Amino acid sequence: MVDFNSIVVMYTWHTHCFSLSPSHTRIPTHTRYLIRDGPNCLTPPPTTPEWVKFCRQLFGGFSILLWTGAILCFLAYAIQAATEDEPAGDNLYLGIVLSVVVIVTGCFSYFQEAKSSKIMESFKNMVPQQALVIREGEKMTINAEEVVAGDLVEVKGGDRIPADLRVVSAHGCKVDNSSLTGESEPQSRSPDCTHDNPLETRNVAFFSTNCVEGTARGIVVCTGDRTVMGRIATLTSGLESGKTPIAKEIEHFIHLITGVAVFLGITFFILAVFLGYSWLEAVIFLIGIIVANVPEGLLATVTVCLTLTAKRMAKKNCLVKNLEAVETLGSTSTICSDKTGTLTQNRMTVAHMWFDNQIHEADTTEDQSGASFDKTSITWGALARVAALCNRAVFKAGQDQLPILKRDTAGDASESALLKCIELSCGSVKQIREKNKKVAEIPFNSTNKYQLSVHETEDPNDNRYLLVMKGAPERILDRCSTIIIQGKEQPMDEEMKESFQNAYMELGGLGERVLGFCHLLMPEDQYPKGFAFDCDDVNFTTENLCFVGLMSMIDPPRAAVPDAVGKCRSAGIKVIMVTGDHPITAKAIAKGVGIISEGNETVEDIASRLNIPVSQVNPRDAKACVIHGTDLKDLSQDQMDDILRNHTEIVFARTSPQQKLIIVEGCQRLGAIVAVTGDGVNDSPALKKADIGVAMGISGSDVSKQAADMILLDDNFASIVTGVEEGRLIFDNLKKSIAYTLTSNIPEITPFLLFIIVNIPLPLGTITILCIDLGTDMVPAISLAYEAAESDIMKRQPRNPTRDKLVNERLISIAYGQIGMIQALGGFFSYFVILAENGFLPSILVGIRLNWDDRSCNDLEDSYGQQWTYEQRKIVEFTCHTAFFVSIVVVQWADVIICKTRRNSVFQQGMKNKILIFGLFEETALAAFLSYTPGMDVALRMFPLKPSWWFCAVPYSVLIFVYDEIRKLLIRRNPGGWVERETYY
Amino acid sequence: MAKDAEKSTWKDFIWNPRTREFCGRTASSWGLILLFYLVFYIFLAGMFCLTMYVMLQTLDDHKPTWQDRLGTPGMMIRPRGESMEIIYNPQMTESWDMYAKTLDNFLSPYNNSLQAEKNDECKPDQYFVQADSGDVKNNPKRSCQFNRTLLEVCSGLEDRTYGYVDGKPCIIIKLNRVIGMLPGTDGQAPFVTCGAKKEDSEKIGELAYYPKNGTFNLMYYPYYGKKAQVNYSQPLVAIKFLNITLNEDVNIECRIISNSIPPGSERDKFAGKVSFKLRINT
Repeated sequence: MVDFNSIVVMYTWHTHCFSLSPSHTRIPTHTRYLIRDGPNCLTPPPTTPEWVKFCRQLFGGFSILLWTGAILCFLAYAIQAATEDEPAGDNLYLGIVLSVVVIVTGCFSYFQEAKSSKIMESFKNMVPQQALVIREGEKMTINAEEVVAGDLVEVKGGDRIPADLRVVSAHGCKVDNSSLTGESEPQSRSPDCTHDNPLETRNVAFFSTNCVEGTARGIVVCTGDRTVMGRIATLTSGLESGKTPIAKEIEHFIHLITGVAVFLGITFFILAVFLGYSWLEAVIFLIGIIVANVPEGLLATVTVCLTLTAKRMAKKNCLVKNLEAVETLGSTSTICSDKTGTLTQNRMTVAHMWFDNQIHEADTTEDQSGASFDKTSITWGALARVAALCNRAVFKAGQDQLPILKRDTAGDASESALLKCIELSCGSVKQIREKNKKVAEIPFNSTNKYQLSVHETEDPNDNRYLLVMKGAPERILDRCSTIIIQGKEQPMDEEMKESFQNAYMELGGLGERVLGFCHLLMPEDQYPKGFAFDCDDVNFTTENLCFVGLMSMIDPPRAAVPDAVGKCRSAGIKVIMVTGDHPITAKAIAKGVGIISEGNETVEDIASRLNIPVSQVNPRDAKACVIHGTDLKDLSQDQMDDILRNHTEIVFARTSPQQKLIIVEGCQRLGAIVAVTGDGVNDSPALKKADIGVAMGISGSDVSKQAADMILLDDNFASIVTGVEEGRLIFDNLKKSIAYTLTSNIPEITPFLLFIIVNIPLPLGTITILCIDLGTDMVPAISLAYEAAESDIMKRQPRNPTRDKLVNERLISIAYGQIGMIQALGGFFSYFVILAENGFLPSILVGIRLNWDDRSCNDLEDSYGQQWTYEQRKIVEFTCHTAFFVSIVVVQWADVIICKTRRNSVFQQGMKNKILIFGLFEETALAAFLSYTPGMDVALRMFPLKPSWWFCAVPYSVLIFVYDEIRKLLIRRNPGGWVERETYY
Repeated sequence: MAKDAEKSTWKDFIWNPRTREFCGRTASSWGLILLFYLVFYIFLAGMFCLTMYVMLQTLDDHKPTWQDRLGTPGMMIRPRGESMEIIYNPQMTESWDMYAKTLDNFLSPYNNSLQAEKNDECKPDQYFVQADSGDVKNNPKRSCQFNRTLLEVCSGLEDRTYGYVDGKPCIIIKLNRVIGMLPGTDGQAPFVTCGAKKEDSEKIGELAYYPKNGTFNLMYYPYYGKKAQVNYSQPLVAIKFLNITLNEDVNIECRIISNSIPPGSERDKFAGKVSFKLRINT
């Protein structure tokens, strides 16, 4: 368990408390500091050197087995070279081929990986950040990396804080610490030390947070990795991220296959030695068995399939950093989602208004498709005027073409929300402001909790001044004596106050930030034209105003999220909201997006409905729950497990980074595969700990992107659902692809076994095996990755990682025991046909091997009495290899078609997969090319086949198709029956 | 703790007394799956036998379907030696005795008495064609006599050591049997000619061929296969090295000279030719 608090303790916190002397502003020794502390940037996590990555590809997986084969080949050749005058080049040749195969597949995987990491690199190519520093009294702009401790730095609204700063002077400075703490509310900064805890105090601004408005000067106290941000980043890189589920599956599978290969190889090696073969021959058999057993092309196929899916996902705005993470999302059973930016639009929007004693709903959708309210009321006009005038936010220049909601604004989030709302419903705010020139203004401060300004009126004949005010609703109400209803001023009576309270409570209960608005037309006699308003020493009335209305704002949920959450739920995925925000807001959003579904109540809801204390409610009755970060702190591990197990709808509010980790670990302890989404630095430890971390592409911080396995380019939760769908599909399709590839192992290995045991001429050579594994099988195997889903994969539960294996015994049973055997018979049939048609009937083949492979026996007699030289019968043998190879291609046609589906009939699924059809033609063309191209007899020892030999395996191909269709029919007819239990992989 | 648990799961996997499972399956489950595989494999074996049967029905009893790999018949020597190397010392009987025995065995079917008993005397220098009349097979087919005496001094009848003892060894050369092959046109019989490889041309000395000129008489062709022509006697040519250089390796190559046999491929060292090494030590 990582202790987040210890990091904070380690931080040299006294720096924000000691008093400052003038010398602190003039430190000439910055170069010395730069050398001592290094550049002001985060050390990137240690990356594995390229050559290590390359070696991993070169010696991982099946490569070791193939290397062993290659080394044995070279050894065999060396022995032959030492003992014979004219050693046959076969072994040398095979050794070279094997080495090339390993190196080529290794390079392929390496480049594949390099390619995907390159995309990630492109994210880092940001414009180098600049910082304005004052060194030795001189202002200069330098690269943020060169900032050292002791520099005096000036920041203004919109800047990123270049290092941890102790603020020495500030003018209305506010910073957005959301990337660090997850809290989106801007916090003001001032030179006063307000708290012992550096994270709480006002006089420290943190590296990589943003200054929202105002200006400030500060002395750099920490740079680079020593900053708070740096420490969290270090914490993240210290966390071990576990292996992805698919990596575990593939490892499991490699062990299985390697085990079988080594076992068979060693067994037959010993058997061969006992049967009286020479050591050299036994070694050659060993190589053959290894080569036949290892699906050489499979790992490359898996990589390609994953890459294809990764590309497809990138098109749908999910950028996968780590190939294997493609599938992880598919097996995800719990998603811990951040609120801000992921579930919500991450911009404040006016959601409700209260005027004319009525709550009006504003349109919060991204595309303004929602319902609108009655805009004709005079009260609304007044409210809009107040909101427009008592507002410092402005649109940034040059965005006239953009839709209003997309425009950037300068100013805080609430004011921007108001600005956009008014601009949308009443037209240009700029014109309103021009018509009502501002005469005086008191900005918002935390003691007054209001903001007011005085304006001239629109009517040039009216010389009165208009006072407008907005602020915390209860404060505003206190200053009002009247209220405007349907355009008429009425005295503020108790009934009205009651009604105001109700509206305020209701909006607050929706998790919305509520502001009150009031105005006053100042009497001309007291405040004649030209009256000098003094804002510091208020010389005008701020009491007895006229209340206009309330406006409430919220960061509204994204339009696609409720649907996506619903999809997750039907796909058996639990969505947990983890946020640093306030519980009420969190709950409101959770209800809004369906994380807490309609009709489900929390313990508190039940308590308030039944009017009983919370302690009397049976926690089992509540399916939903909202847990506050402070409560979470006191929970034991068991209680935590209990909550996670028994509540289907959970919201964690006010959580710290460490608690996010605890939540993720808790879910993992219960066996869930957890996806975590987040954008802030504070999320990154959890992102790393999760089985799959999902960072936000637009709003996400660099640290979070680095820790994540996947990046949502559009920051949209709905994209995760697409990712889940793709991940599930690829898992199914990988199964099919592996079933297809493994099947041809049986027709590859049986020739060797029969060759050794019953001494027949070798039916299939090692080179032809490689031609199948790396040639003809590749494209059809990859094409299965394009196969469409058989049923709605978003309607079933996530797979159970302990039970649903990628390669299970049923898959092996089908591939090896059933289809593989039929294929082997097909191959052997064409082998016997060719030998028989050339004169060697099956009856004389058994035991013929010794003479057959004797180079000095050049008059071997066949069944007809003809005599054959070594080379002549070897040509027949190699023709058999070619025919066996072609037969495997023919039976693999049927295999790829049956592997398209696991349950449905091919007739239901259809042949819509164009890549697969291409694959069928491609493998056939490749087989014909290898057989008929002149020169192949020398290069690969493959010989042209008579046309009739192509059809030998066709009956077996048909048999495979019919057999599997019947099997699948039985599976569909008897769900859960014996056939399904034994053969549904 | 963890280790114990692991152990028990392993044991449980092999035999779980609670569920009565052996290797994760109950007896009935094992029975069913084994029965399934038994039936399945019997069915596959049946299918395989059926296809094999159909295929064998398409074959001709007397002539293989394809002969394109036997365009150039191979040649072979007797004795074969060990991987085509004949090395011996005339003084040491045991070093050549097995060669003589091999030849004795090889030539015994060619004894004149046996030949006369089983085979016909044919008209020499022309093919001994025994055509079938349509579907009616003209079987069994007769064969021509090849008498051992045709090999004269290499027949082993007068010189039972085949010249090995006095350093003038006999090697017998034969042309591989190929059904229906006609090794010469225009009545020109094929013949064997031997020579040394480049650097050994000085060492080979004189050679004698039996029968005369080393020809394979045309009357022994065509061959009709072992089923139709049971007593076929493959014609032979013997060569005798008269004064080969002693104590040195001599690489010899014999080829068939014929106007209808195409030259074999470069890769096949025994198609239409045969090479071997002869070394006589003293």
